[in-house]
Amino acid sequence: MRTLSYQLSSISLQLKRFFIFIGEIFALFFETIRCTFSSPFYFSRLMEQITHIGYGSTSITVVIGLTMGLVMTLNFGYGLAKFGGTLYVPAVVSLSLAREMAPLFTSLLVAGRVGSGIAAEIGAMNVTQQIDAIRALGTSPVRVLVVPRFWALVLSLPLLSALSFAVGILGGLIVCKTEFDIIPGLYLYKVFSTVKFHDYMSGLVKSAVFAGIITIFACYKGLNTRDGTKGVGLTTTWVVVTASILILVTDFFISKIFLVIW
Amino acid sequence: MEQNLLELKNIHKSFGENLIHQGVSLTLKKGESLGLLGGSGTGKSVLLRSIIGLERIDRGEILFHQERIEHLSENQLTPYRIKMSYSFQNGALFDSVNVFENIAYPLFEHTKLSYDEIKTKVADMLKLIDLEGKEELMPSDLSGGMQKRVGMARSMILNPEIILYDEPTAGLDPANTLNVVSLMQKLKQKGIASIFVTHDISSAIMLCDRIIVLHQGKIIFNDTPMHFQRSDNPIVQKFINSKE
Ligand SMILES: Nc1ncnc2c1ncn2[C@@H]1O[C@H](COP(=O)(O)OP(=O)(O)OP(=O)(O)O)[C@@H](O)[C@H]1O
Ligand SMILES: [Mg+2]
Repeated sequence: MRTLSYQLSSISLQLKRFFIFIGEIFALFFETIRCTFSSPFYFSRLMEQITHIGYGSTSITVVIGLTMGLVMTLNFGYGLAKFGGTLYVPAVVSLSLAREMAPLFTSLLVAGRVGSGIAAEIGAMNVTQQIDAIRALGTSPVRVLVVPRFWALVLSLPLLSALSFAVGILGGLIVCKTEFDIIPGLYLYKVFSTVKFHDYMSGLVKSAVFAGIITIFACYKGLNTRDGTKGVGLTTTWVVVTASILILVTDFFISKIFLVIW
Repeated sequence: MEQNLLELKNIHKSFGENLIHQGVSLTLKKGESLGLLGGSGTGKSVLLRSIIGLERIDRGEILFHQERIEHLSENQLTPYRIKMSYSFQNGALFDSVNVFENIAYPLFEHTKLSYDEIKTKVADMLKLIDLEGKEELMPSDLSGGMQKRVGMARSMILNPEIILYDEPTAGLDPANTLNVVSLMQKLKQKGIASIFVTHDISSAIMLCDRIIVLHQGKIIFNDTPMHFQRSDNPIVQKFINSKE
């Protein structure tokens, strides 16, 4: 009896912590939005972050985009060739790139690169009392640190996904030309007649949502880092794992929503 | 009668089971320096952090110019954090920007001064803390003592009415200690009130108008440095003797 009540109370404690956590995440999100639309807005900090977070991620984006394009085209090509469906390869590849693969994989990689970076930076500032200093000097850590990073990634990640899509299409074009004798003209015609406006939109909206998830979770965890250097390490790992899982889960729901409303 | 600049009434604060403050009351008048002594872990830092709102107290009142501020939100605290500043134990400098940007930060945030005016102000401030021409250095290039002084410069650039010093001389060699103490003396002469948390009893006696001793969550001594030295309170005695 006693163990049961003990377990129940520990479960209820865990649940309570979980709901508090969700509440704080949303509170940080709404505070970020509120600070965005009230002065001062740090434009130079935003540009700095776009350079650092967005522009700094272009090389890994190109690599992942090109790899996806090459590999998917190769596999779909040989798979569909058995049924004489090689001509459908451009359509299949471009559609899955635009709707799923480009935004999803780019975001997962960026979650690793940028999410961990933000969490480590803000976490280290927290354990060295720099966050307290920002507050003690009459300024808001959300305004100074979170808002520029949030908008930098929300603006950059859709562009990075678009870049990854474009490079992926290029990869597909190369494989189609060399392996399956589909000339570039036909390939591009197939691609652009298959992928419609809402497919592009689905990818872009997803990327923006993923960007929001990455930055809010990374900033939240950074601002709540405890226990010195060890805490910073734990924070970084936690952010990458949590953000990646959330991206995968959210991806399913956004895909579903887009399929229903369009 | 002189008005109190800052007044703490019956402050209670605990972290979970750990009771830190159990009814702390004190007053600070304009231009006055208070020395706050107490063993390690008695909650001196927590008291300073509570005054400036970095930590929330459980019970009690904090009055600044007779206005209660302990219940204010982060945003509402902003004007008070301009008039009352906190000098962190290790400086807490922003390590991604240089000395100039660190000291200029409050000016960029809270004043409408032009870039050139800010530059002059920061240069004057650097002269005051004996770090003339060191604008371009990064915090990691500075010694511990220099970092502390830059941190102090950042906390006093807006001419606050009160500065809360958290162990400004801890971990410094005698020469650097003297530097910091003489800086504090200059600020005192400008009429800035202060609370000076320290383990360095001789500096406190030299600098402060009153000495306060915190022990087991309560204030057990609150009088002039002269009375402090002559006190027969056993805990105070222990403090004085630990000096030698
Ligand atoms: N954020 C916190 N969470 C939990 N406990 C805390 C927190 N901050 C401080 N404490 C506890 O409060 C007590 C007082 O800490 P404080 O830092 O004020 O001591 P102090 O008097 O400044 O000591 P020192 O002279 O060593 O700096 C300590 O026991 C500390 O463990
Ligand atoms: Mg302390």
